[in-house]
Amino acid sequence: MSEQFEPKIVAFFCNWCTYTAADLAGISRMKYAPNVRVVRLMCSGRVDPQFILAAFRDGADGVLIGGCHPGDCHYQEGNYKALRRFHLLKPVLEEMNIEDERFRLEWISASEGDKVQKVINEMVEQITKLGPLDLEPISTPETLDEMLEKEQEIAV
Amino acid sequence: MSKPKVGFYWCASCGGCEEAVVDLNEGVLDVVEAVDIVFWPVALDFKRSDVEAMEDGEMAVCFINGAIRNSEQKEMVEILRKKSGLIVAFGSCSHMGGIPGLANLHDKESIFNRVYHTVPTIDNPDGTIPQVETSVCGTTVELPEFWDTVRTLNQVIDVDYYLPGCAPPVNLIVGAVTAILEGKLPEKGAVLAPDKALCDECDRRESKPENLCIDEFKRPYQIIIDEEECLLAQGLLCLGSATRAGCDSICVKGNMPCTGCMGPTSRVNDFGAKALSAMASVANANDEKDVKRIIGGIADPVGSFNKYSLPASYLHRKVRK
Amino acid sequence: MGKHIIVDPITRLEGHGKIDIILNDDGNVDRAYFQVPELRGFEQFAIGRRAEDLPQITSRICGV
Ligand code: SF4
Ligand code: SF4
Ligand code: FES
Repeated sequence: MSEQFEPKIVAFFCNWCTYTAADLAGISRMKYAPNVRVVRLMCSGRVDPQFILAAFRDGADGVLIGGCHPGDCHYQEGNYKALRRFHLLKPVLEEMNIEDERFRLEWISASEGDKVQKVINEMVEQITKLGPLDLEPISTPETLDEMLEKEQEIAV
Repeated sequence: MSKPKVGFYWCASCGGCEEAVVDLNEGVLDVVEAVDIVFWPVALDFKRSDVEAMEDGEMAVCFINGAIRNSEQKEMVEILRKKSGLIVAFGSCSHMGGIPGLANLHDKESIFNRVYHTVPTIDNPDGTIPQVETSVCGTTVELPEFWDTVRTLNQVIDVDYYLPGCAPPVNLIVGAVTAILEGKLPEKGAVLAPDKALCDECDRRESKPENLCIDEFKRPYQIIIDEEECLLAQGLLCLGSATRAGCDSICVKGNMPCTGCMGPTSRVNDFGAKALSAMASVANANDEKDVKRIIGGIADPVGSFNKYSLPASYLHRKVRK
Repeated sequence: MGKHIIVDPITRLEGHGKIDIILNDDGNVDRAYFQVPELRGFEQFAIGRRAEDLPQITSRICGV
């Protein structure tokens, strides 16, 4: 491929902290890579593991969750929930051959615009090195034959 | 009026679903009374050519169990789709991939390598592996093409209804057959089982604390399991809160945690993710170190949360390297 | 070459089977093949599972 690979990153940001921080980064003209699609949620605890897997299924090369620092969640416990799910999802993703760098959880407060910038740039750099996440699409009765043809080329 | 024609077929499955039909006991006689079974390889001698000779839509309903993981299964279910008015995915394997779906943690190459070359019980000095076509005596002997990926039935053909469970509980089978005969089916795509969580029908639910907190996940061999208390409250990985009801919680009644064979309720798409979320939320820790310790007590998360559902999950198979 | 008879599927037993019988010109059996077209790969995917799950997993090799 001559064209440079541009990773797609889906970011789930808590409204009260990381989302505000991302805004701040924007206003302060801190440059971060334009590869991120931000989804604003009221709390990192709202990030259902289904959202993360669906993002990967739908073509994300990386997923980032941003929440309030421990003790600062506006709903007391939301970020702790996110933390527990994160640590349980990690080994699942690893087993499915989705590299560690592709899934990240960060605590970023409303004033840490620079951290948003740093984390996103880092992720983009690491994932660019890894290349696209080559997750095979799920077949439907309509796409099956086409997919089987491709599968034959790959399989022994 | 002539009796409606019915077929049963199996793909990548264990035969347990066929046993579930036999478990109807005398009830099977009522079924035989009400319908005409025109295809059922385990019990009756009909050949593929008999099915091919049917008119399109000739069968009222065909119950198909098993996951789809080779070309022959695909051909058969495509034929059955044409010949049948309704297709019911019968059992966990056709519903969500089932236990054979765990093969999606691997691929054709590694499975062939293990099964035909390295498994301790193999004696294969010539290193023979199955071939799709082999020429012998001027003719060709054929075997189906083994796929790299295991698929659910609805990833291969259009499915009308789902009967969940490994194997489906008898009362749900009776309910489904009755609904079909009486024409009282819900909207297409429905899972023919109660749409609530297993915990709701579990005898131990009273002992499940509302705000359950687990300090340590336990494995069945590590404790003497209390026969009355909620299994999750005892620290065992019981997936009842993420699993659809309808089995009368038979595993829990047998003092074993639920591993999720009935799949999710209608509000959930990815069973494994939901089960994972439910288990993560009961871990009693906020600090990263404690979280890691408690969560680390869950062995084989991918296999434990997707024991019956990997091909139906959003990630559905291991990413190829 | 003589006739090639295919019995597919073999019925009234648990499991998937197919028989290929190849007759010679005199109508006698030259070769016969019993084929099991079904493979699921338990030998491979049972590795890494929880020990306590194996009684449940391996019982799905054959559920009859
Ligand atoms: S977690 Fe298991 S044992 Fe407890 S109530 Fe639910 S199904 Fe019953
Ligand atoms: S208790 Fe769980 S694993 Fe057991 S039959 Fe019911 S749904 Fe399936
Ligand atoms: S409100 Fe920000 S993580 Fe909960």
